Amino acid sequence: MRVNRPVPSATLVLRLPMWRSRVVLFLMFAGFCALIARALWIQGLGNDFYAEKGNKVKRVLELNAVRGKIVDRNGIILATSLEAKTIVAYPDVVPDDLDKNKIQEFAKLLQMSEADLRKKLSESRNQLYLRRQIEPDVAAKIKALEIPGIVITSEYRRYYPEGESAAHVVGFTNISDAGQEGMELSNNTYLTGKNGQRNVIIDRLGRVVDDLGNFVPPKNGQDLQLSIDSKIQSIAYEAVKKAVETHHAKSGGAVVIDAITGEVLALANWPSYNPNRRDKLSGEQLRNRVLTDTFEPGSTMKPLTIALALEKGIVTPNTMMTIGHLQIGKKVITDTHPYGVLSVAQIIQKSSNIGTSRIALQMAPEEMWSLFQAVGFGQAPKIGFPGAVAGLVKPYDKWGKLDQASMSYGYSISTSLFQLAKAYTIFVRDGELAPISMQKIEQPQVGTQVISAKVAMQVRTMMETVTQEGGTALKAQVPGYRVGGKTGTAHKSNGKKGYSANRYDAFFVGIAPISAPRIVVAVVIDEPTVGGHYGGEVAAPVFSSVTGATLRALNIAPDANTSQLVQNGMGAPYQQVKY
Amino acid sequence: MNRSVVILILALMGCSFLLVYSQQKTRQLFIEKNRAEIFERKLNQEWLRLEYEQRELSRSTRIIEIAKKQLRMNEAKQDQTMYLKEKE
Repeated sequence: MRVNRPVPSATLVLRLPMWRSRVVLFLMFAGFCALIARALWIQGLGNDFYAEKGNKVKRVLELNAVRGKIVDRNGIILATSLEAKTIVAYPDVVPDDLDKNKIQEFAKLLQMSEADLRKKLSESRNQLYLRRQIEPDVAAKIKALEIPGIVITSEYRRYYPEGESAAHVVGFTNISDAGQEGMELSNNTYLTGKNGQRNVIIDRLGRVVDDLGNFVPPKNGQDLQLSIDSKIQSIAYEAVKKAVETHHAKSGGAVVIDAITGEVLALANWPSYNPNRRDKLSGEQLRNRVLTDTFEPGSTMKPLTIALALEKGIVTPNTMMTIGHLQIGKKVITDTHPYGVLSVAQIIQKSSNIGTSRIALQMAPEEMWSLFQAVGFGQAPKIGFPGAVAGLVKPYDKWGKLDQASMSYGYSISTSLFQLAKAYTIFVRDGELAPISMQKIEQPQVGTQVISAKVAMQVRTMMETVTQEGGTALKAQVPGYRVGGKTGTAHKSNGKKGYSANRYDAFFVGIAPISAPRIVVAVVIDEPTVGGHYGGEVAAPVFSSVTGATLRALNIAPDANTSQLVQNGMGAPYQQVKY
Repeated sequence: MNRSVVILILALMGCSFLLVYSQQKTRQLFIEKNRAEIFERKLNQEWLRLEYEQRELSRSTRIIEIAKKQLRMNEAKQDQTMYLKEKE
């Protein structure tokens, strides 16, 4: 059997000298060494040139977060952030041989001299701001010039469409978007967003072509919904402003509370300011007087005193009291008119200091003090508002007889208008004090029972007589609605020198509608000098217009006996409408 | 063997071209995505601006002023009001 043996090929048989392969191996090794050395050089030692080339295409983009909006209870904007353009230059990208006409035009649009602009563009900086917050149309013209290395970015500016009328509630921010006053300040963290960041590569034309990772998305601030109704707010503001101007007063304030939910519907102050004009944001007008100023509430305190006396069973609404003359120590308590005998209800209607004092003196100081505490006097209202004050209530063990008497009609005790309005919610909610909120709430909150429902109703009835024939505040009447309230006219304190003879605070605090109570409206006019100074003359008309507007805005049906209005000839001839 | 080498070389070249192509496509799509994002932001801003403008135009004080001055409207006075009774 024949076997085919493989014949060794010629190449395999060919023997090369050993040194040749060694040379090749060495050359290859040397080549690799050269490559490694070059790589080291590029990566490490001599990399400035390349690093510079690389940096030219790398950019860190700041992604602006938007501050949350502030809206009213119906979602209407009270504060919003809008984009404003900023011109940013990357000097190392801007070509040195830029067309002269172009640069002149550019300088003109930036409102700077050509020399200044050239100097800025020759600076060796990665990026610089040429101008901040310019009008969008100017920015568009700059963009049209198509200068390489000039980028238009966006910042945000805060706008307040409601302007002066809601200024004290909403507050304002500073240039770096931090809250300075009002809700902008107290809810700053909630409203503030968090800027994001993006590392990118740009191409020759400045377009972003790739992400380098490390992307941090911007986190926008949250929107804040207030309890304020901007319509009621602007009506309240206009009414206060008008009253202050008509009566040449120093200042004025009004607060509207929906007592059923505890939400503040309006909180207005005059003087006010325009939060959109940042250069003018300082001084007296920034003060939210409704919350930060305290005063002696005068006769607006009487319904609380009488309510307590009714609650303790000391009197009933029909108890007849001899008013006469009352002197405590050296101090003679006075009324505006001398009265003989008045019922307890009439004491409220006529606002008798003597009558209220006589009733108060039958109570223990501790009982009165407890009531003041229970309705929130002497404690700053917890509504998340900067600078809300507590007012002053002396501890009851330091009260003398005169203190007790004067507190019963609103002297020797101080509160803010806001606290006073809050206290009056007990008359709306059948004796329950409403928890107050500046933010919209869905469910009415449970309050604390201060007086019984029966007493609350009795006081309501008395307060209605204040606005009727024989009462102190006919001007508080609201056409079509039954309203009630209490006037107050307090001599202003001169510090240690006692009370001023001719400087007053005029108040009216009331509730409406009487048949199904819903809102509390409190008004103060500080130092009215022209056209009267009594609460019934100065503050009651403001109450009337604000209450009327509020009831209509809340869609509450008129509860006055309308057919009677027609019979009295006050209404238009009317026909029964059949459905 | 020769055939497989040729196929591999062709495949390698194809892959290289695909790589270049996909790289280019990625960039294009990336730019497009960026553009869309910028456009989205612009539209958002425009919406905010319009919302603000609408708010400016619908301010209560402005409406009252126009109603009173331009349209000569008045609030209904007591003697101009007719109360309609709901049937019990």
